[in-house]
Amino acid sequence: MTTHATTSTGTHEPDAVASARTPQPYTNPYLAGIGLGLVLLAAFVIMGRGLGASGAFSTLVSVGVATAAPQHAAGNAFYGAYLATEGNPLKDWLLFEVIGVFAGGFLSGVLAGRIKRTTEKGPRISVRGRLTFAFLGGGMMGFGAKLARGCTSGQALTGGALLNVGSWAFMMCVFAGAYALAYVMRRQWQ
Amino acid sequence: MNAPFFKYGLFNDEVSLIVAVLIGIGFGFFLERAGFGNARKLAAQFYFTDMTVLKVMFTAIVTAMLGVYFLSVIGFVDLSLVYLTPTNLLPQVAGGLLLGFGFVIGGYCPGTSCVSAATGRTDGWVFLLGIFVWIFAFGEMFPLLESFYNSTPMGQQTLAQLTGLPYGLLVFAVVVMALGAFAAAEWGEKVMAARKGGKA
Amino acid sequence: MKDLLKNSTLNQRLAAVALVLGMLALIAGDPYQGRTATIDAKELAVIVQNEVDHISPGDLADWIIQGRSDYRLIDLRSEKDFGGYAIPGAENVPVSQLTDHGLMKNEKIILYSDGGIHSAQAWFLLRSQGYKGVYMLRGGLEAWNDDVLFPQLAENADAATRINFAKTAEVSKYFGGTPRTGGTQETSARPSIVAPKLDTPSAAVPAAAGKKKKKEGC
Repeated sequence: MTTHATTSTGTHEPDAVASARTPQPYTNPYLAGIGLGLVLLAAFVIMGRGLGASGAFSTLVSVGVATAAPQHAAGNAFYGAYLATEGNPLKDWLLFEVIGVFAGGFLSGVLAGRIKRTTEKGPRISVRGRLTFAFLGGGMMGFGAKLARGCTSGQALTGGALLNVGSWAFMMCVFAGAYALAYVMRRQWQ
Repeated sequence: MNAPFFKYGLFNDEVSLIVAVLIGIGFGFFLERAGFGNARKLAAQFYFTDMTVLKVMFTAIVTAMLGVYFLSVIGFVDLSLVYLTPTNLLPQVAGGLLLGFGFVIGGYCPGTSCVSAATGRTDGWVFLLGIFVWIFAFGEMFPLLESFYNSTPMGQQTLAQLTGLPYGLLVFAVVVMALGAFAAAEWGEKVMAARKGGKA
Repeated sequence: MKDLLKNSTLNQRLAAVALVLGMLALIAGDPYQGRTATIDAKELAVIVQNEVDHISPGDLADWIIQGRSDYRLIDLRSEKDFGGYAIPGAENVPVSQLTDHGLMKNEKIILYSDGGIHSAQAWFLLRSQGYKGVYMLRGGLEAWNDDVLFPQLAENADAATRINFAKTAEVSKYFGGTPRTGGTQETSARPSIVAPKLDTPSAAVPAAAGKKKKKEGC
């Protein structure tokens, strides 16, 4: 059982807006996992659905496009799917859930003294380089998540717990893809 | 059988949005507890130095899986009312690979990037920006992608239905596999730490 | 054992709990309680369109006469109706008990009811549960009456039709029915049927089939 103290190798901003307390070690990963699993279970039992994240972003994008170009959005099958609800499409379960994710993450960060204006990166890369990769990585994530109908929370966690075939296939591919590219990207992290 | 509560009409849509926020808070909270607001910690998984991603993910899966399984078997939860995303094998495989690439390049996944952004990380915000831009790109390209997107449909399929094996057997198998993975992960971390210590 | 409990770390205890629950899952059964059905909508639509899932009363009559025993004939009506008259070789199974009855998924199963509604619904249910060899008697018992038991020869029928009718009449008599010639269009005045003594082997009904249900997840 290893607990990790947050060493700050590679963080860049000297004027880090940190809370006065020193950052606390992370929770035992298995306990954090159990907590996460119980939250997912609560979603199953209360709502009859699982967690998610990428869907909320799709909703925002679709609403954005619809506001700027309603005809175009209506004619597009992808955006249409997120706009097809009766009533305000922004009253979307996932969107509210993601708002909660921000809040919960912030809360935990405050309690643990881990709020910090910084860019996480390895020692051998510049901030600009890191941010470029973050943008590209985010892009691939967004694109891939749409193809797969979900991301690690919606597909891997939710579908994994429900023994969903597509989700397990998806999960294996995520790990495979990441490990495959890890060597190429090592300079960013190590 | 009176769960899932929402599907049995125990509360309405408005209340479900409040539930969404609460569940989201729990979600984000535990992600941050595990350290997933930090891209370096997430990426370390793929260099075998820090296997937290595997531990947290599979512990969560096993916990929720066991929970929903036993609650269904005793008849408290009607599992057929819990939404199962339909499988479209090929696009999900392609999406998964792409996601994996994005994970090690960007250092986050959509959920953890929210946590990262919420705790002040600039790269978290930039990652989110990337997600938005490329979801938009996907939407614009959708007419071209549509047939691939809808290819190889298998409907709502569980591993039990696919293999014909009993659901409970697969639950057991997943537990055993996860425990094995954890043992391997602990061992791997020790090896990498010793190697690092030896070098220094 | 006590030492093991005392000296184990938190992680080890968690792992032990998970393992115990996992082993419990081996015997706990199906969380879907046998309620799931997988529908390949396209496949079913094609089958329905092509009507490969029907069997006509004439064909069924031929099978019975030939003594074929490679199928099971299921009467979906009530016990009372079944007692009144049933197609020879039929088993009486109400729709709600179909999945418990011990039907094999690769058997040939022919369903019939009075008209076609119950048999069509039962066909769909069985197909969605993975039974591949399900057929419906086209037109149900009503068509059986019209085509097999009480076939009608029109007054102005031509020679070819009369020749065909000869065979149909034989079949009808075999089953204890009455072929009708001439213009009588009445469908209500039917003589009651004497149940024919047939040598067709009754479909082998496994003794325990009624109560034995294949448990998934055990």
